[in-house]
Amino acid sequence: MHKLNYFDCNCSVGRVAYPYLHDIPDVEGLLKEMETAGIDEALVYHTVARDGHPPIGNSMLMDEIRNHRELYPVWVVLPHHTGEMSHPDKLLPEMKKNDVKAVRIYPKANYHSFSISEWCSGELLGALEEECIPLILDLETLSWEDVNTILENHKKLPVIAATCTYRNNRYIYPLLEKHKNLFIELSRFMGGGAVEDLVKRFGSHHIIFGSNMPQYTGTAAVALLTYSDIDQKAKKAIAGGNLSNLLNGAWK
Amino acid sequence: MTEYFNHIHNGIPITDVEIIDLHAHLGSTRIMHIPANDVISMVKSMDLCGINKTVVSPIAGIDSDIVLGNNMMLESIRAHRGRIYGACFVNGHHPELSLDELQRCFSEDKDVKMIKIHPISTFCNMKDKRMRNIYEFASDRKLVVLVHTWLDNDQYGNQDIFAELAKDYPKITWIMGHSGGPYGSRHAVELARENENIILDTTLSTAPARQIEFFVSEIGSERIIFGTDNPYLDPRPQIGRIGLADISHQDRVNIFSANAHRMINF
Repeated sequence: MHKLNYFDCNCSVGRVAYPYLHDIPDVEGLLKEMETAGIDEALVYHTVARDGHPPIGNSMLMDEIRNHRELYPVWVVLPHHTGEMSHPDKLLPEMKKNDVKAVRIYPKANYHSFSISEWCSGELLGALEEECIPLILDLETLSWEDVNTILENHKKLPVIAATCTYRNNRYIYPLLEKHKNLFIELSRFMGGGAVEDLVKRFGSHHIIFGSNMPQYTGTAAVALLTYSDIDQKAKKAIAGGNLSNLLNGAWK
Repeated sequence: MTEYFNHIHNGIPITDVEIIDLHAHLGSTRIMHIPANDVISMVKSMDLCGINKTVVSPIAGIDSDIVLGNNMMLESIRAHRGRIYGACFVNGHHPELSLDELQRCFSEDKDVKMIKIHPISTFCNMKDKRMRNIYEFASDRKLVVLVHTWLDNDQYGNQDIFAELAKDYPKITWIMGHSGGPYGSRHAVELARENENIILDTTLSTAPARQIEFFVSEIGSERIIFGTDNPYLDPRPQIGRIGLADISHQDRVNIFSANAHRMINF
């Protein structure tokens, strides 16, 4: 058997104000965590883009990961109305120029405080949908109702639900029944038999590997997948194939 | 790269060291759908990663009825002798019944090995005087008591309340369930240093990077036990946390089972 190639959709660089344990702010720290867990490549956002101000954090991200080919940039974005971030007509070309692979949004009041409804986020989400840019949503910062609203309004936008927990199946299953463009990230999706059950019901193509390193260890998500009772083809798809397919579908 | 890197990355169960899970449950629950919640599924997932023994306290006892939960625990022991062991669940709101359950479970089956307390789910403070007879029972028999603990926002069983009881009952071996949660690691080692009868538990879903290494470097691997929360949480990720941690083989052996054997006569 060959080791799976892991492509992690949920990693970050940058300092956090209230770390779980150790603050691991730099790229070298993230790379060490990836090496320990055996994770090969990662989509990375900057914590300053989430916890501070998105344009500052996005800029820091590009500087910090510039020399690391195994790390790919994810920008945190805002609707354009206040002028803090460009209109999608300018933002998306800027993203393409910087080889940005995916975006994240943090709409809740204690984060970036905007509405995901069409009157506020419609143009932004529509532009992302047009280019099939994956949207990564952190379920610790928004609700399943919000996820459903985005999926309903933008049926071709690939949406990755990250950090959804082992307690979320009663939300996830009906959403997966309705929406082909929803993908579930693994870092906290760790209920007993959850991976096998999701694969059995919906197929392996709806699951994307993620670890939330370096806040979490990546070792748990790796073992969740490698020891799962699903075939090797499904493991390979979840470890990295599904994310690669999503990214290959973007910017076309 | 650790000695179990290839095992874990190829999905091969770890078999050259015994693995004992001292923190597990059993059954379904109102709060979430658990696909593999029955004991047969639990044993299957244990087999897939190499867990030899698991000590269970069924969710039914925590959520609703301690007698129902303890009956499920006894049945699962009988159905999987040598793989499944029991932790008798008690609830301070039912002090007489809890004492009866302790007497019943520990006398009915030799494979009932521990006591489980879940203060925040039962809304019963660990210091409630109705808990005293339960602690006396455990203290008289020098038992192991596993307590769900969290940070100081848990007014029923936070780490400081837990440590007070550990001081009051030094003959009990107290396992700090979840070691106080994802933000609790630093305080957990402080309290473990102050109280020799406190043991830290690795069970967590939000598992901080380098937590296992931190515990080992701060208090030594002899004071840490392996737990999974199976089936609330799948047990397999927890194997990855220990098996891939940057610690020595002996540290891993201690956490996986040597410490459990020192605490409990399996």
